[in-house]
Amino acid sequence: MSEAVAHPQALAETYEPSLFGTYSKKIGMWLFLLSDSLTFGALLYAYTYGRISTPNWPTPFHSESIRNATLMTAFLLTSSLTMVLAVRASVFGNAKTQRWWLFATMACGTAFVVLHGREWSNLIAEGLTLPVFPTVPHHTASAEFSNVAQTVPQFPATFFGLTGMHMLHVTLGVIYLGIIALRRTFIPILLGLWLIAWLATPAYSPFHYGAHVLLAAAVVCGVIVWLKPKVYDSSDVEVAGLYWHFVDLVWMFIFPLVYLMSTRII
Amino acid sequence: MATTATVHAHAAPQGFIRKYIFSLDHKIIGLQYYFLALVAVFVGMFLSLLMRIHLIWPTAVLPLVGEIKPETYLSLLTMHGTIMVFFVLTTAPQSGFGNYFLPIQIGAPDMAFPVLNMLSFWTTFLAFVAMIAAFFVSGGAPLHGWTGYAPLSALPSAGPGEQLGADLWVISIAIFCVASLMGALNFITTLLDLRAKGMTLFRLPLTCWAWFVTAILALLAFGVLLSAGILLLLDRNLGTSFYVPLVVVNGTVMGHKGGSPLLWQHLFWFFGHPEVYIAILPGMGVASQVLSTFARKPIFGYKAMVYAIMAIGLLGFTVWGHHMFMSGMSPYSAFAFSIMTMAIGVPSAIKTFNWLGTLHKARIRFHSPMLFAIGFVSLFVSGGLSGPFLAQPVLDIPLHDTYFVVGHFHLIMGVAAIFGIFAATYYWFPKMFGRMMNESLGRIHFWVTLVGTYAIFMPMHYLGMAGHPRRYSQLTELAYLHDLIPVQQFMTYAAFITIGFQFVFVFNLFWSMFKGPKASDNPWEATTLEWTTATPPPHDNFGGHTPVVNHGPYEYSVPGAPRDYVMQTDPVTATAH
Amino acid sequence: MDAIQVALASRVAAQHRHHGKGQFFWVWAALLLMTAIEVYLAYQNMQPIRMLSILMGLSLIKAGLIIAYFMHMKFEVSRMKWLTMSSLVACLALMCIFFPDAFRILTLGTK
Repeated sequence: MSEAVAHPQALAETYEPSLFGTYSKKIGMWLFLLSDSLTFGALLYAYTYGRISTPNWPTPFHSESIRNATLMTAFLLTSSLTMVLAVRASVFGNAKTQRWWLFATMACGTAFVVLHGREWSNLIAEGLTLPVFPTVPHHTASAEFSNVAQTVPQFPATFFGLTGMHMLHVTLGVIYLGIIALRRTFIPILLGLWLIAWLATPAYSPFHYGAHVLLAAAVVCGVIVWLKPKVYDSSDVEVAGLYWHFVDLVWMFIFPLVYLMSTRII
Repeated sequence: MATTATVHAHAAPQGFIRKYIFSLDHKIIGLQYYFLALVAVFVGMFLSLLMRIHLIWPTAVLPLVGEIKPETYLSLLTMHGTIMVFFVLTTAPQSGFGNYFLPIQIGAPDMAFPVLNMLSFWTTFLAFVAMIAAFFVSGGAPLHGWTGYAPLSALPSAGPGEQLGADLWVISIAIFCVASLMGALNFITTLLDLRAKGMTLFRLPLTCWAWFVTAILALLAFGVLLSAGILLLLDRNLGTSFYVPLVVVNGTVMGHKGGSPLLWQHLFWFFGHPEVYIAILPGMGVASQVLSTFARKPIFGYKAMVYAIMAIGLLGFTVWGHHMFMSGMSPYSAFAFSIMTMAIGVPSAIKTFNWLGTLHKARIRFHSPMLFAIGFVSLFVSGGLSGPFLAQPVLDIPLHDTYFVVGHFHLIMGVAAIFGIFAATYYWFPKMFGRMMNESLGRIHFWVTLVGTYAIFMPMHYLGMAGHPRRYSQLTELAYLHDLIPVQQFMTYAAFITIGFQFVFVFNLFWSMFKGPKASDNPWEATTLEWTTATPPPHDNFGGHTPVVNHGPYEYSVPGAPRDYVMQTDPVTATAH
Repeated sequence: MDAIQVALASRVAAQHRHHGKGQFFWVWAALLLMTAIEVYLAYQNMQPIRMLSILMGLSLIKAGLIIAYFMHMKFEVSRMKWLTMSSLVACLALMCIFFPDAFRILTLGTK
């Protein structure tokens, strides 16, 4: 195989050159991202559609929410930076540096999810909730948010739908990076995280059930690692990076549309 | 770098499970898709037969099923449509034959991502199981049609099948979206990266072009259906109101408000119209391939065919609104959609005339694949001609909710695509199984199916123009419907005969698989790469070497050549020019 | 077959090594800056449609930066650049045909 790297010309004799000039995994990931961006695009169009057709769209987000969401955005942008640095380390063959940058990326992603989860829990407690979410015991919802959920059910529906879908993507991204960084060692860690997330959240919280995503992901990752056991190289890191940047990119649209366009101006 | 797992170097698997069940070989996966579709098509046909029986004998008590109630009729209609569209028309021509023959026709040893390919099949299988399970849960299968129009599909209290059955339906569709996405990106990457030396884009067989464009459509369309399905699940289970306005069901005010059913229709048909082309484009590719082979002539206007496929794919994304003229959408959008829909007639006509041009003055060999390919062209024309009627809002409004539309889409999307599958089966069977199919049985199957499908679906156009509404389970209430019952009876008898003769095909398929005469490597004297390799192809398709392509795909009756055809791998000197 | 993939991947890696590290920090700073501008704008009292245009304009620039630099699209072959981006933009632009119907719901009074 090292011979092949030395003489790519000889190999090019057997196949036509790649139309996109790059390796297949990267093309595959780009194609997946095209499809996924249409999935998110359709969700954002559905949100905009609902917003246009609903008179008196509320603008309930106080400065705490905006501050929190801005901090989340900063975390996500920084994670993109650490991700490109991980790719850079991997193409230079610095396995250790690459791993640490991947850990930094995962940390930023986890911070995003945790901050976002806190935001969700606060809003649900304050009454901006979906009909199926149980009410938070020993807590009185604020009239303002309850009123929004009562009069414009589109608002919490789109908020939880869009950000929930995105949060799922970030979570899966962190797991993806964990597998790339640690391979099968990450699966017991993931199972531990699942137990923590499941046990640490109260039963009325949607995250109590949402934590099972981690369990499902652990099973799927187990199958994949079993089917294709391999050492991940720089191309795998780059492909994982594409997914991660895409998740960041989607947030660049969700943040202004969902949060900034619904800001309570003092 | 050197540690990259060697996917393509995977050795031929030995055990039964790794070889036939969890296989990474694209050929086995293609066959798995094919047989899944074969099971699905019989389930779908059985459901349609029950509907036809109910229409003319509404009180009949059937074995196994009992008496069919009006809501059961709606369940049958929903499941027939869904199973046929997703698990037959999407699965067999694209994932089945495409999986088997796309890598071979471009000279690749396998798909670009074999593991993804296997996962894609098993995800499809899971979706099929979830879909079939909808029959057996309490309340039964959903009532909302294969289009799943909200608010009916979004309200669990709207009918007996709308409870768990509808949830399973949505989940099955969502899983299917993921499976198709995996398949589509695999097809595209394979075609971009793994073409053998000399297989330039304009030397690709038209089948490959069709599969390629279909994969692009699937890639871009299924993502949208996925998000539509997710929102529908939220509406059903989390109490959101994306698709549901303030509604009253059986006197109870539902908790929803502010949603718009039109949103579902937009999102659904944004996927749904490209889906029509996902079903028919592979059939067009197969028809081109087979017509050229058996007419012993190069395909008429190869490049025009390629550009027509691309144009159909492109325009296919801009016309979804013609399914919604009745929905109360903005008349300005309706106008734009109408124009774009008419425009699709241009590339479709280019294809049709090029097929006819290929047949013109040809010494045709009438083998069964050729008969089915000609049948495809016939059905494509007769089904397609009613398209421009429905493309105009003024004509669509009286016709849309009648049998006219049922006749139209069954001819063009249903039966034409099925004829494409039949043509592909008869054409590639020798390569896939190493034996020939019985020619006489094939001809009997062709003539009965051709006449039978016309007998079933042609009268539907007249019923529609007479004002017969679709989706009605009772025909006895209104006098003018009562007068049309003889036509319905004729169609049911025709359906009985046509479906009965499909067992001739199944018998031919399985009997020939084991008892048919041995096939040579190139029984049809065709030119593309799959006919250069052994029959059936070895595990890595070309037995360890990669073919080198020197010719275009359809060089038949070449002047000065030693045979009347030049295979794609023949040396350059084989032709005089 | 695999050897070709490896050769392509090593060529891509060599291309990565060729780029400086500095551009990533510039892009990151620009993204943060634009986010700050967006948050600032959110507190300005202006017509929603105007605010939406400015915010979406900024978001598109941010998305462009992420795709071009972080996702390396700027350095891919032009065929890949144009085919992927144009198909995506075309599909998303098509969905704008949803909106006349959303506006009609308001004027028709059906809710």
